[in-house]
Amino acid sequence: MGKEIVAMILAGGRGTRLEALTAKVAKPAVYFGGKYRIIDFPLSNCANSGIDVVGVLTQYESVLLGTYVGAGSKWGLDGNKSLAAILPARERGEVGATWYAGTADAIYQNISFLDQYDPEYVLILSGDHIYKMDYADMLAAHKAKGADLTVAVLNVSLEEASRFGIMNTNKDLSIYEFEEKPAKPKSTLASMGIYIFTYKELRKYLIEDAKKEDSKHDFGMNIIPMMLNDKKKLYAYEFAGYWKDVGTVESLWQANMDLLDDKELDLYNIKKDWKIYTEDTLSKPQIIGEEASVKNSLITQGCIVNGDVKGSVLFNNVYIGEGAKVVDSVLMPGVLVEEGAEIYKAIVDEGVVIKSKKVVNKEAKKVELVSDNAR
Amino acid sequence: MAKVVGLVNLHSDVSYKGLTERRPVASVSFLGRYGIIDFVLSNMSNSNIDTVGVLIKEKPRSLFKHLGSGNSWNFNSKSGGVSLLYNEKYANNTMYNHDINNIVENSAFIEKAKSDYVVIAPAHIITTMNYAEVVDAHARSGAEITMVYQRINNANETFVGSDYLRLKGKEVAEIKQNKGNRKERNISLETYVINTKVLMSLLKYAKKVSSFFDLKDTLAYLCDERKIMAYEYKGFARCIDSYEAYYKASLEFLDLDVSTQVFKSTWPIFTNTNDTPPTKYKKNANVKKSFVANGAVIDGDVEGSILARNVIIGKNAVVKNCIILNGSVVGNDAHLENVIIDKDARIEKKKVLISEGEPLYVKEGDVV
Repeated sequence: MGKEIVAMILAGGRGTRLEALTAKVAKPAVYFGGKYRIIDFPLSNCANSGIDVVGVLTQYESVLLGTYVGAGSKWGLDGNKSLAAILPARERGEVGATWYAGTADAIYQNISFLDQYDPEYVLILSGDHIYKMDYADMLAAHKAKGADLTVAVLNVSLEEASRFGIMNTNKDLSIYEFEEKPAKPKSTLASMGIYIFTYKELRKYLIEDAKKEDSKHDFGMNIIPMMLNDKKKLYAYEFAGYWKDVGTVESLWQANMDLLDDKELDLYNIKKDWKIYTEDTLSKPQIIGEEASVKNSLITQGCIVNGDVKGSVLFNNVYIGEGAKVVDSVLMPGVLVEEGAEIYKAIVDEGVVIKSKKVVNKEAKKVELVSDNAR
Repeated sequence: MAKVVGLVNLHSDVSYKGLTERRPVASVSFLGRYGIIDFVLSNMSNSNIDTVGVLIKEKPRSLFKHLGSGNSWNFNSKSGGVSLLYNEKYANNTMYNHDINNIVENSAFIEKAKSDYVVIAPAHIITTMNYAEVVDAHARSGAEITMVYQRINNANETFVGSDYLRLKGKEVAEIKQNKGNRKERNISLETYVINTKVLMSLLKYAKKVSSFFDLKDTLAYLCDERKIMAYEYKGFARCIDSYEAYYKASLEFLDLDVSTQVFKSTWPIFTNTNDTPPTKYKKNANVKKSFVANGAVIDGDVEGSILARNVIIGKNAVVKNCIILNGSVVGNDAHLENVIIDKDARIEKKKVLISEGEPLYVKEGDVV
């Protein structure tokens, strides 16, 4: 029996703008929010939306991401009828070894995977965004409109609009034009890179696109214009909650800081029971020492804090020595801050040791990235 | 390699007042994110025992939920697994509801496992014991039964009511109850390695002597006629045998010299995941010398306390020397000292609860 909907997460990106943070891991595997990896968000959203077959398309540094996703047990996707499947670019019988040439090509190369499940709809997601979203609501909208493609959009400010792919729509939210990073935007509805396709249509367009040698094989640049040209039914679906593309060191830092503000992304399920699932680390509860002070911060298990922490996010097994000061910073797993060291407005990469009395980024004008990896 | 089966023995007379009203000692929350049973299960897992039976005495609901399929402790190999051994026949009959009757009732578990040795250990004595080392010593000694003990010098304060061993060389000469009248004792940690065949014959033997005999009674009765080896364990051990001992042992972990003896990178303590977010410290948070589990949201003063998952401490509340279990809420400006708050309770704002002696207890789900 076919599945109503299958999700495909594009997780092959290199994320060069994250500098040293992606020197050894794919962008979707980058740490976020004191406990998570970025890809936990789309995977948890799928699990919470009742989507139980999820393909994860990998290319750059696919090994760590592959072992992390595994069969999907962390998100409850490892049942008899559910699955998280890692789909790396690979050698295939008919065509030999190929890389994924673009977002559309990545899905095209996995048509046989999709065919196995014979889905009515396919949800295409990107593995590098932070948000909570019920895809079931979006699917209901897609069905209600009888759409061939529904694109989730976020209403951004006019200044920001030139940084995004913009959907120009009619009053009923039907899309008549797509513009990538327009200099003079006609609309402020930015594509979130979340698509629901009716699979029959998607399959047809992917095969057609694959034949075109001059195509970039990209959903935004090629598939959507082709469908618009053919007068297919494309609709925008407006999303109102928190959404962040954490593509740069600065935006990754900002998204972490957003968690400290109650108005932003709610990890504590106060409004809706919508947990973000992740790996469980085998560490003890966090220990706050006698001389410590912790304010306006997120701290996770395994941490030992003996110094001052303010406005910061600490991942598991971070150690803060006595008299150390950590302000407005993100400390990834296993960071060791020795006695008397000071860190301001920084992202400190996994396992870095900040030596005793060392001062990092005292000026605190820009976000500083401290890493043992080079990029 | 010898095959070893682990038995977690929950048949004991230990209880923690209100905390064990509706759950067994084994699943009482400990240090914010563990159940008491996690320590013995982790020791078995870390000792490469992958076939474990849990001898359940009573109130199993929360324990079933906690253990699940045993994946969290790595008991999910194809050859091993965790089995919940329950003796329904005698569940409501205190005199007959003991470990020997439970093993007899569930002897199919032991027979099917086809092990050479059985390791039996309780949940309420917290250790980081490597059972593989005990089994090795047992095998080398050629004994059929080995008992693990610890030499302590505060037997007048702790392990009172437990058994102690009188030794003759490396053998157990006599087993007696610790009445707390002397400081130095070789205290039994109620942990045994027994050849599987010998264990099965002991069960029959015990029934002949007295139907009320449990394993402890049987070994005490036997020790002058059978060779029982004594094995000295020198690592961390705490006997959590009462409400007071639970409170004391919990807060003792706030001392890093104590907690680092148990939490070692080479000896992980496993438990099941709850997918809780990191703990949020808000602007008015002032936390000192405390253990905090994930998912808590803190906006008040917390000192010398243990907060479990998803606890909420309201603005300017004061929490001192308290243990607060999962999901409980302390209202704004409340003041708590020496209180144990069970799960999902709510302390109204401005409420003052201070105990001078034994810690106060607030029941699961209560509103105070």
